[in-house]
Amino acid sequence: MGPAVDSLRQTLEEAIGTGDTRVVMNLSEVPMVDSTGIGLLVRFLVLIKKKGGNIKLAQPSKFAVQTLRLVGVLNLFEVFDNDDAAVESFT
Amino acid sequence: MPADDRGSPQAGALSELVDLNMPANSEAIASVVDAIGETLLSLEVPEQKRFEVGLALQEALSNAVVHGCGNDPTKTVRCRVKSDPQGRIAIIVTDPGPGFSPDLVPDPRKDENLHADHGRGVYLIRQLMDEVHFERRGSEITMWKY
Repeated sequence: MGPAVDSLRQTLEEAIGTGDTRVVMNLSEVPMVDSTGIGLLVRFLVLIKKKGGNIKLAQPSKFAVQTLRLVGVLNLFEVFDNDDAAVESFT
Repeated sequence: MPADDRGSPQAGALSELVDLNMPANSEAIASVVDAIGETLLSLEVPEQKRFEVGLALQEALSNAVVHGCGNDPTKTVRCRVKSDPQGRIAIIVTDPGPGFSPDLVPDPRKDENLHADHGRGVYLIRQLMDEVHFERRGSEITMWKY
């Protein structure tokens, strides 16, 4: 929502701009994901996959998982218990 | 639990807990959601329900700011919280916009909508709350949590 989504959008745009398309997003400190955040995640997932990369989620809160599942997009993402496992999955 | 658009329970016996106005600015949403979360906490509403109400409220306020007010901070969104004698909570969000047709909102889980970058807010509200109805041609939403 608002500034948080703007910040995430900027970070992802910068990553793509520098050619980084293998992204691990740690959601452990994101208690809630709203529809704006979900829309952003999905938009960048599509964009990054077109470039041969992926966005993987690490340590999402139970409420974030519930919300992603509720709108049917949880299965679009690979979800990991920690950052290391998510990073290793790219190799 | 999926919600429907029918009328509210015990509409004549409601206690008003919160009645506030906020500028139509997305940066104002978090403080309203936090304030109402504190109200629910003081009423000993369980965490799961507080999360569901908080996210639904966030979505309703965001719709009001963006679609109802066109992100014009000189416009005002009104938010009220009421409870009935059974402890059920009603959240009412009103904007000054022309409204919309909630029945025309597509199902975001359909294959053709799954990768869309918008269109999930009203669906989320209906899923998170026990009862939802729209009035004033869609410019006022009442969301019940039992």
